[in-house]
Amino acid sequence: MAEGFDIDHLAKLARLSLTAEEKALYSSQLNQILGHFQALADADLPATIDDARVVDEAALRSDEPGPVLGAEAVTRIAPASRDGQISVPRVVDDES
Amino acid sequence: MSNVPSDWEVVIGLEVHVQLHTRAKVFASSPWGFGKEPNEQVDPVVLGLPGTLPVVNREAVEKSILFGLVVGAEIPEHCAWDRKNYFYPDNPKNYQLTQKDFPVVVGGQVEIELPGASRNVMGEHKFIRIHHAHLEEDVGKLSHAGSGSLVDYNRAGVPLLEIVTEPDLRSSAEAEAFLRSLVAMLTQAGVADCDMEKGQLRCDCNVSVRRRGAEKLGTRTETKNLNSISSVRDTVIYETARQIRELEAGRSITQETRGWNAELARGYVLRDKEDAHDYRYFPDPDIPTLKISRETVTRLAKQVPENLYDRQRRYVEKLGLPYTAASVLVNDRALAEWFEAAVAAHPANPSGIANLVANDLLRDLAASAGAAGAFDEAAPAPVSLASCPIKPAQLAGLVKLTDDGVISKQQAKEVFAEMFKTGQDAAAIVDAKGLRQNSDTGELEKIVQEVIADPAVAKSIAEYRAGNEKAINALKGPIMKRTQGKANPVLIDQLLRKFLA
Amino acid sequence: MADALHTLSAAELGRRLAAGTLTSRALCEALLVRYQAVNEKVGAFTHLDQADVLAQADASDARRKAGQGRGPLEGIPVAIKDNIAVKGQPLTCSSKMLAPLVSPYDSHVAERLRAAGAILYGRLNMDEFAMGSSTENSAIRKTFNPWDLARIPGGSSGGSAAALAAGLVPLSLGSDTGGSIRQPASHCGVVGLKPTYGLISRFGLVAFASSLDQIGPMARSVEDCELLLNALASADARDMTCFGPSDRALTAAGDAKKLRIGIPKGFLGKGVAPEVAAAVNAAVEFYRAQGCAISEVELPSADLAVPTYYVVATAEASSNLGRYDGVRYGHRSTAAGTPVEMMTASRSEGFGPEVKRRILLGTFVLSAGYADAYYVRALRARAKIRAEYLAALAGVDVLLTPTVPTPAFKVGEKASDPLQLYLEDIFTIPANLAGLPAISVPCGKSGHLPVGFHLVGAPLSEAKLLAAGRLFEAAHGYAHQQAAL
Repeated sequence: MAEGFDIDHLAKLARLSLTAEEKALYSSQLNQILGHFQALADADLPATIDDARVVDEAALRSDEPGPVLGAEAVTRIAPASRDGQISVPRVVDDES
Repeated sequence: MSNVPSDWEVVIGLEVHVQLHTRAKVFASSPWGFGKEPNEQVDPVVLGLPGTLPVVNREAVEKSILFGLVVGAEIPEHCAWDRKNYFYPDNPKNYQLTQKDFPVVVGGQVEIELPGASRNVMGEHKFIRIHHAHLEEDVGKLSHAGSGSLVDYNRAGVPLLEIVTEPDLRSSAEAEAFLRSLVAMLTQAGVADCDMEKGQLRCDCNVSVRRRGAEKLGTRTETKNLNSISSVRDTVIYETARQIRELEAGRSITQETRGWNAELARGYVLRDKEDAHDYRYFPDPDIPTLKISRETVTRLAKQVPENLYDRQRRYVEKLGLPYTAASVLVNDRALAEWFEAAVAAHPANPSGIANLVANDLLRDLAASAGAAGAFDEAAPAPVSLASCPIKPAQLAGLVKLTDDGVISKQQAKEVFAEMFKTGQDAAAIVDAKGLRQNSDTGELEKIVQEVIADPAVAKSIAEYRAGNEKAINALKGPIMKRTQGKANPVLIDQLLRKFLA
Repeated sequence: MADALHTLSAAELGRRLAAGTLTSRALCEALLVRYQAVNEKVGAFTHLDQADVLAQADASDARRKAGQGRGPLEGIPVAIKDNIAVKGQPLTCSSKMLAPLVSPYDSHVAERLRAAGAILYGRLNMDEFAMGSSTENSAIRKTFNPWDLARIPGGSSGGSAAALAAGLVPLSLGSDTGGSIRQPASHCGVVGLKPTYGLISRFGLVAFASSLDQIGPMARSVEDCELLLNALASADARDMTCFGPSDRALTAAGDAKKLRIGIPKGFLGKGVAPEVAAAVNAAVEFYRAQGCAISEVELPSADLAVPTYYVVATAEASSNLGRYDGVRYGHRSTAAGTPVEMMTASRSEGFGPEVKRRILLGTFVLSAGYADAYYVRALRARAKIRAEYLAALAGVDVLLTPTVPTPAFKVGEKASDPLQLYLEDIFTIPANLAGLPAISVPCGKSGHLPVGFHLVGAPLSEAKLLAAGRLFEAAHGYAHQQAAL
C-alpha cells in the first residue's frame, strides 16, 4: 500500500525542508505506520459514507457586518509589516 | 479581427469569478467594500487566526441560488464545501474554501445574442450551457514594493461565485456576447454588481482548437485572471492563432496554464502540467453539508426578473418596438421598468415612448452622469434613474400631447429638454410657453379661407387640383405664419383639403 | 485553613465563597503560593500572569459583594490548555511556531467562563499542537506526572491533568482529539470528560483535527467535572459543527444503579497490564453489585480504529496547520529569500518532529493517487465504526473499558517509537471517530500510579456517564486525590 512514497515530494507539498537524517528517519517511520494501516486496505467497508453532519439553513450566518481587528492589530501580531500591510519577500508571478 | 481559417474550429470554455453582492464576507462577519485602507476589513476568521472557524453567509448562498434560478439551473438539495490546499501569501489559511463535489448550482444555460449585420439588425441567438456554479472565498491582494511584497487581506473572504460553462463557445465574439449577457443577468437579478474596474468579475479562459468536423477536442490551455471583456476576446484571438500556428507547423499544444499581458496584448506561460498543483482536496470538516430547503428555492424563484431576451422579444413582438430601441432598453432592468411604467400610463404609443427613452432620456442622463464601465468598454454607461428628474408618467404625458396633436414633434423635443431641466409636467410647460397648438376650427376655417383667396397662392391651388399632392404644402406656411405657429398642422391639412375639394 | 485550599473541590470552594468565609483573592493567593512551590517540579503551566489573576479575583469579589455573582463558578480559578484562545494571553500550543502570539480574541469557552465569573487562570502545557500522548512533544517545557516525577503525565492535555493532580488549580480545560483529555486524566488520577462532538463550541480551540477535536472539562471529582461542563456547554453560532439551541438536549441521567453496561469483547486482552485489568474488572464488579446489568458486546471493527484515526486526524491536521507559514503571525525565519523559502524555513524551524511527522503523513494520505486508498477508505471505515458503536449503544447505556492499556510510562521511554505511542489511544479513539461522549474516572492504582476506567455513551448521554461516575466515586476514595509533592 505504501509504494510510491516519495519523501522529497511530500516535504515540498508540505513546505518543510528536511535534512538527510530527517528524511531517512521519517521515511522509515512513515513506512512502518503505513504498514500498520494495512488493516484499512484489507477491511470490508461500506461503499457509501453516511455523513451524519447535515445542517439546515438555520445554521447560516446573517449578512450583518461585524467588528474588524483593524490594520493596527493585524500588523501588531505580524512578523513584519509596512504601512498597514504585511510584508513578505518579493513574490515572483505564480511562484507557488 | 479574428480570422480563424475555415478548416479550424475553436472551442472555448469560461470560468467566471463574480464577487457576490453582500455586506459581510462569505465565511466571516467582516464587512467588505472597495477603496478601504489595507487590512481594515479583516477579522480573526479572515486572517485565519488559530482557532477561528468559518460560518457560511446566508445571503451569499441565496445570491448563488438566485443566479442558478436565473439561468434555469438545478438547485441540489445539498451542497458542501471542500478545502483546496496550496501555499501562497495572499491565501490566509493556505487552503481555500470552495465547492468541489457538491456545488450550490448545477446546470442551466445562458442565452446570448451575437452582433447583427448592422446596429439595427438583431444578430443570431444561441444558448451556452452552464456546467455548474460554486460558492467560494476570494484571496487577498499582493503588491510589490521595492525588494519585497505587501499583503492586504481586505479582499480575502469576499464571496465569489465561480460560474463554469460547458465548452460551448465557438468564437471570440461568442465569448464576448456570453459575458455581456451574463453580466446583464447578474446585475439585473441583483446577484452581483460586476464592476470590473473594482475587480468584481474575473475570468479564466480555456481554449482549444480542432480541425472542423473532428470530434475529439484538442489539447486546451487555460489563461487565468482576465479582468475585462476585451482581455477575454483578445486572449481567445491570440490563443486561437497561436495554437493553429503551432499545429500547422507540426508541433503539439502543451496543456498549460497561461497569463495575459493586456498592455503587450500577449499571452505567456505560467506553468505546464508537470508543475500542476496537487491541491489535496477534501471535505471541509468545519462546515457541515448544507441542506437547501425547497421553500427557500420557491421564495427566491419569485425574485427572478424577466429574462433579458424574453423581454426583448416581448418589446418587439407585443409592443411593436424597433429592435434598436428594444435592445437598448432591455440591457438595463431599471430602464426597462421605467419604460414599462411610462407605457402603462399611455399604452397607445410604446414606440414613441421607447424612442424618447432610448435616445433623448439616455443621452441626457449619460451627460449628467459620467464614464462607462471598465470591464466592458463597449457597453453604454450605466445610468442612474434614481436621480432622473422626469417621472415615467410625465414622459407618457409628453408623448400623449404629441399624439393628440397638441404640440408638434419638434416642439416635443423642446418640451422634453425643459422637463429634464425642471422636472415639470409637459402640459404645464406647454401652457407656460404658450406652445399649445390652435385647434379652434372656427377661427382656423376663417384664416384658411382668407389664405385660399389670396391670389399669391392661386398657382399652387391649380397644381394641387391638377393632381400634385405636394402643392398643398405651399398653402400651409402662410396659415402657420398667420397663427404664429400655433395652429394644429393636422387640422390645417384637413381644412385645406375640405375647402379645395 | 488557607494552606489546605488547594486540596478542596471546586464545589466546596464555591460553597465557601458563597457563604462569605472565603474570598476569591484569598483562594488565588493560596494557589499562587502553591504554584511557586510546585510548578517547577511538575511543569504543568507554561504561563501564569499573577497580577492578572489577582485583578480578576478582586473583580469577582467585588461582583459578589455587590450581589452580582454569576453562579457556582464565581471566583473559582480554571486553568486553560494552551490551545484555547483567551484574549490578551499567549496562544502557543506549546509550539515554537506560535511562541510570539498573544491572542487578540476570546474563544467561546473563555467567554463562557468569564460570563460564569470564573478566574481564567494561566496556560497549561501540552504536546505541540495537541499531537502526542505524553506532553513530551511540548517545545516549551517538560511536564511530569505528579504521582511519579520520572514519568509522563499523559497527553496531549498533560498540563491540564498534572495541574489538578498537583493541587495547582481545582478545574482545568483540556481538548481531546483521540484521547487527549481522558488518557492524561487516567495517568494522573483525575476525571476527564470528552463531550459529544458538537456539545461545546470549538470557536477558539486551535484545530488539530477538526472533525475529532472537542474541548472538555477536567477536575478531581465527577461532581466538579459536571460543574465545569455545565458552564461550557451552550450553542454558538460561530461553530457550524456545534449543536444549535434546539438539538442539544441532554439525555436524563436516570438511576445509575439501573444502567446497562456493555463490556466490549476482547478489549481487556489487548496488551492491557494486569493491574489495569484488575482495577477495571473491580469497577465492573462494583457496578454489578449495585444492580447494573453487565453484558458483553461485539465491536468487530475495533482494530480499524487506530489506522482510521491516524489517517483522518493527520489529513485534517496537514491542512489545519498549513496556515502557520510565518506570514501573518507566529514564527518567521530570518533565513529566507523568496516567499516559498521563507515559508518553508519558518515551518521547518517552527514545528517539532512529531508535528512534522504527522503533517507528512497527512499530506501523503490526501495526495493525488493515494487519497482513495487512504483518506477515502478511512472515511468509510469511520462510518462503519460509528455504526457499530451506535448499534452497541442501542442495547446498553454505556460501554466500559480501561482508559489506557498501561499506567504512565517513564519519560523518554517511548519517544523513539511513534507507532507504539499511537497505540496508547486504542480505547479512547473510537469515541472521537464516532462523536460520542466519554469519561475517564479514577478506579485504582497500579503500584503508585493511578489507573482509570473509561465509559462511552450514546450522543448527548453525558448525564448518564457523570451519574455512573458519581456512583463509583461515592463508594471509593479516589475523588479529590492529589499526589504528595
